[in-house]
Amino acid sequence: MIAVLFRHHVRLHRVPLLPLAAGLALFEWIMTFVAREPAVSGFLTSALRAAPPQFLALLNQELVATVSPQGIIGVGYTHPFTLVMMAVWAVRVPSAALAGEIGRGTMDLVAARPVARYQQVAAALLALLAGLAILAAAAWLGTFGGLAGRPLEGVTAWHYLPVVAALWMLFASAGAVAILVSALAREAGTAIAWTSGLMAASYVLDYAARVWSRLAPIRPLSLFRYYEPQRLLSSGLAGEDVLVFAAVAVVALAAAFVVFARRDL
Amino acid sequence: MADAPPIRTRGLAKRYGRVPALEDLSLDVEAGEVFGFLGPNGAGKTTTIRLLLGLIRPSGGEATLLGRPARSVAAHADVGFLPGDMAFWPRLSGAETLDFLAAATGRPPSQRPFLLQRLGLGDAELARPVRTYSDGMKQKLGLVQALQCAPRLALLDEPTKGLDPLVQQAFYGIVADLKARGATVFLSSHVLSEVERVCDRVAMLRAGRLVSLGDVESLRRAERRRVTAEFGADVDPASLAHFGELVAALPRRIEMLVAQEQVTALVARLGMLPLADLVIERPSLEDAFLEHYR
Repeated sequence: MIAVLFRHHVRLHRVPLLPLAAGLALFEWIMTFVAREPAVSGFLTSALRAAPPQFLALLNQELVATVSPQGIIGVGYTHPFTLVMMAVWAVRVPSAALAGEIGRGTMDLVAARPVARYQQVAAALLALLAGLAILAAAAWLGTFGGLAGRPLEGVTAWHYLPVVAALWMLFASAGAVAILVSALAREAGTAIAWTSGLMAASYVLDYAARVWSRLAPIRPLSLFRYYEPQRLLSSGLAGEDVLVFAAVAVVALAAAFVVFARRDL
Repeated sequence: MADAPPIRTRGLAKRYGRVPALEDLSLDVEAGEVFGFLGPNGAGKTTTIRLLLGLIRPSGGEATLLGRPARSVAAHADVGFLPGDMAFWPRLSGAETLDFLAAATGRPPSQRPFLLQRLGLGDAELARPVRTYSDGMKQKLGLVQALQCAPRLALLDEPTKGLDPLVQQAFYGIVADLKARGATVFLSSHVLSEVERVCDRVAMLRAGRLVSLGDVESLRRAERRRVTAEFGADVDPASLAHFGELVAALPRRIEMLVAQEQVTALVARLGMLPLADLVIERPSLEDAFLEHYR
């Protein structure tokens, strides 16, 4: 039954998935061109040296790492464009799968069939994770294609696999929270508003905590705190980060299963 | 479980905050019957159906569907459901919608060709996205999705809403076929003539409470006859008042509502008066309905 529901979600969301994936692949492909142009690299070096620390904080990068070709490509993975593309899926699919179906009235058609509530939540989760995997893979393929076309000394696409894995985990975790919000809401619009707001607040908190030391103690409350591509490029995935993403996802999903099983549709 | 009626409720109740939507509903719907569920807007008909399907949780009482608790999804494979407010996925075609819902039921859609043919939905319509459908076409698609897997129990909320008279006739034929093959039909409706025509038994709800339950004929019988008498000379209407309720009283014309058992005595009394014309009307289900809700 979960497979039936999963295919249903894929059918409903496959159209937006294609441009999202293509956009991410193209963007990361372009970043490899930006990284390999010495003139661009030199310009960025000068620009970043002159930039205020608040700007560097926005990029979430160490200056030295950022101006290296490997670092410039890494910027592509923290760029707001990449984050927004991933967030679109992480918000859209969970919001539509539960609250959206209730708000439209189609939930009655599904729930009146031999479909358990947990199966609906599980199918939404599968659709979320599969779509995020496709988007993350598309981003990596953009990097891979760019570097394959014109190799850059000392930089391979394989270096970015931990970054892509962390990107997937970041939004899988955020998407799990979106599933919980959707399990509580009665309209897709409400779920989208809350989830987008939470993601935006989390992003702003991480940024603000980096530029304003008074907020630094609460920076760990932001999911974006655990996603630092430059650190991932130098030292790989950290167990602590993976644990935080997993813990947030597990808690949110457990709550979603319970809430959705008990609520009126 | 095999002997349990397809629908059983005992003291079933639902409140939204302080507002009662359904109170103390106890009824059995027997296998193979077509059961009509009547009531004005907000009477609790849709709430009852949603409780039966486990879509909402009762505030009190219990309900079983095909012998299983309402919240158990195990019985749902044998249930066909038509919601009162028909909604579909606008981008999916009619065929995709039916395929998905049949797959979610877990049974082959053996009745689909027959239903499509009876309701006049062709391949061309099914290939179109549902967002291009008229309300009537959506209702037809709703009926097909509800009945395509040959359910043992059909829960149909306002099934003829938006259907033209020809398609309504086709629907009545479909209900007859369901009954002929032993399926149980639970049908909520505002259309009294429809209920009168297709239902074996009828329940009437008012403000969340069951006010009447019985077969259509006995409900009719239980209702008072409308008696209109015209006289060739003036009579005193007050002398007839003890037979029933005087609805209109003129010196040479009276109109009364009279219990069935009083009709014979009234006719005998009228025969002693200068009677010019007498009309005794058999109540329709609509009369019964209106009498309950006035």
